[in-house]
Amino acid sequence: MAYKDKYSNDLGLTLGMLTLRIWLGCRAILTGIEKYAGTQNSDKDVLIDGATNAYGLTDTVTGKVYSFSNYHGVPVPLYDKFNSEPLIPTWGLNLFDTILGPALILLGLGVLFGIAQRISLFAMGLVYTSLTFGLILINQSSGVAWLGVHIIMVVMALALAKHNRFAVLKKW
Amino acid sequence: MNLKLPTLSRRDFLAKSTLGAGLVLGAPAVLRAKEAGAPTDDIRVGFIGCGKQHEVLFNAMVNIPGIRYVAACDIMKARVGRTFSTIKSRFDTKINRYLDAEEMLEKEELDAVFVSTPDFWHAPHTIMALEAGCDVYCEKMMSNTLEGARSMVAAMDRTGKLCQIGHQRRSNPRYRYTLEQLIQKEQICGQIVNINGQWNRALSSSQDIVSKPSILPDAETLRKAGFNTGADHELSLDELRHRFLNWRFYTDLSGGPISDLGAHQIDIFNWYLGCQPTSLMASGGRSYFKDREHFDNVMCIFDYDTPQGNVRAFYQVLTTTSSGGGYYESFMGAEGTINISEREAYTKIYKESGADSAKWDNLVRRGFLKKEAAGKAAGGADAIASYESAPPDEYALPGGLSKAPHQPHIENFLDTIRGNAKLTCDARHALESEAPIYWVNQAAESKETIFFTDEHLHT
Repeated sequence: MAYKDKYSNDLGLTLGMLTLRIWLGCRAILTGIEKYAGTQNSDKDVLIDGATNAYGLTDTVTGKVYSFSNYHGVPVPLYDKFNSEPLIPTWGLNLFDTILGPALILLGLGVLFGIAQRISLFAMGLVYTSLTFGLILINQSSGVAWLGVHIIMVVMALALAKHNRFAVLKKW
Repeated sequence: MNLKLPTLSRRDFLAKSTLGAGLVLGAPAVLRAKEAGAPTDDIRVGFIGCGKQHEVLFNAMVNIPGIRYVAACDIMKARVGRTFSTIKSRFDTKINRYLDAEEMLEKEELDAVFVSTPDFWHAPHTIMALEAGCDVYCEKMMSNTLEGARSMVAAMDRTGKLCQIGHQRRSNPRYRYTLEQLIQKEQICGQIVNINGQWNRALSSSQDIVSKPSILPDAETLRKAGFNTGADHELSLDELRHRFLNWRFYTDLSGGPISDLGAHQIDIFNWYLGCQPTSLMASGGRSYFKDREHFDNVMCIFDYDTPQGNVRAFYQVLTTTSSGGGYYESFMGAEGTINISEREAYTKIYKESGADSAKWDNLVRRGFLKKEAAGKAAGGADAIASYESAPPDEYALPGGLSKAPHQPHIENFLDTIRGNAKLTCDARHALESEAPIYWVNQAAESKETIFFTDEHLHT
C-alpha cells in the first residue's frame, strides 16, 4: 500500500513538473518568436463583374509575417521609456534588446526538452527578473505582477526538479 | 536647348500674357503629346518652388519610373539645398541648384517643370516655363487672380505645350470610379438634388508659420520676388518675412482659405455635375484671426441648372475647428448619397430606405459596392415616430488607392508627355472649374448674390 502511495505521489509530481516545463518552454519560445513578427500589406486588384477593374482600385490585405528584419527585442514604446531612465545605460539596453529574443527561444527550448534543467530554469528566472527591473523603473505595476507569476512558476519547477523525467540532459 | 528669355518682371509677365490671352481666346485646347508608341527616354524634370507643397509632390513622384531629376529653384537657399540633398540621397543624382527661375529655364534642358510656388507666382512661372518649351504641372489655385489664370490658358494654347493643374482628385481612381460607374452609369444617387462640402481645419493647423530667421531670404530678395505687392507702406524685414512664410493670409498674394482648401472640393462639384454654377451667395468673416486680410471662415452656396434639375451646393471652409467630419464632398440624391473624400476614412455611401434594394444588392454581388451595415435607428425615449425617417443602409467603395494621393495625377501628366494619355485637368478645364471660386470672396464681402455670366466665367 505504502509503495503504491509513493508511486502515485511521484507520478503526480513528475507530471506536474512536465506540465510546468511545457508551459514555461512554450511561453518563452513563442514570446521569442513573436519578436520577429510584423505585418505586411499586399494590394490586390478589385474584381468587378469577375474582371479586374479598369480604374486601378485595390483592396489592401494585411497579413502577419516573420522575418529577421522585423526583430525588436524590446518593443519600441517600451524601449523609448527605458532609454530615458537614468538607471538603464543605453549600451545595456541595446545589448538586452539584441539578445532578449534569441535568449528566450534558447532557454525555452532548454526547459521544454530538459537540457540542463536547473541551469535553464535559473537563467529563465534571471531573464524575467531583468524584465521586472525595467518595469519597476517605469512604474508598470501590472507588468511586474505578471512577471512575478512567471517567477513563482520557475521556482515551482526548480522545487520539482528532482522529479524531472523525459529530459535530454539530466545533469545540472 | 538655347533659350534667350528676356528679363521680365512679374508684372510685365502678367501684362504681356493677359494681352496675349485676348488674342488667342477661342482657340482650341492643344494637348500636345508625343507620338503614341514612340520610344521614350527619361523625362527631364525641374522644380520651381521647393517648399512644403513641393515636398508633397516629390514624395508622390519617387515611385514613378522614368524621371530624371535635373534642377530645382527657390529664392530660399536652404530649401533648394534640402531638395538637392533629398534627391541625392534617394537617387544618387546631383541636381543643379538655382535661386532664379528664369536662369534655370535658360540654362537647363528640361522636358517638364513642376511649379509649386505661392499662388501669385503660379501664372508668371507657368507662362515662363511654357514659353521656354517645357510642359508644366502647376499647383492649384491656378493664380491669385482670374486674369492670371486666363493668361495661363492663353499661354498653353499659344505654345502648344501641356499644362496640368494640380487638382489631383481628377486622376484619383476612387473619384473617377465614383463619377463614371456609380453616378453616371449606375445612377445610384438617383437625381442629385443637393451637394454639401467642407474642409474643417483645426485652429492648431491654422496658426502663423514661423522659421529660423537665419535661413530666410533677405529684404531685397523678397521685394524683388514681389512679397511687398499691395502693401500700403514700406515693409520691414520682419513684415516681408511674415508675408513670405504666410502668403496665404494676404489678399494680393493668394485667394485665402476658399481657394487654398475650397478649390479642390468645389472643383469636384463642377466636375461631377458637368457644368458651371449659375449663381453664388456667400458669407465670411475675420471671426477669430482678426488681423488677417482674408476671411478665416467662409460659407457659400452655388446654384446649378443641370439636365436633371436644379441643384444647390453648400460649401464651408473653417479654420477654427476640425470637428464635423474633416473634409469631404457629399452628393445627395433622392435614392442615395455619396460622401467622397481624398481620405478613405471619410468616404461613405448611403442608400435611402425607399431606393430599389434589389438594384443595390445586385451591385454588391457584382462587386461595384461593398455593404458595410444595415441602417440602424438611433432610438431612445426622445424619438418621436412621426418625425423620424428610416435610417439609410451604409455602403463603401469596393477598393481604394494604394499610392500617394498626388501620384496618379503626376503619372497622368508624365504619360501624356509620352503620348500615352490625355491630361485629366489641363489649364482650360481647370479654369472652367476654378472660375466661380474667384468670386466667392467678393460675394462674401458685398453680401450680394452674384448671377454668373460669360464675363464672370469665360476661359
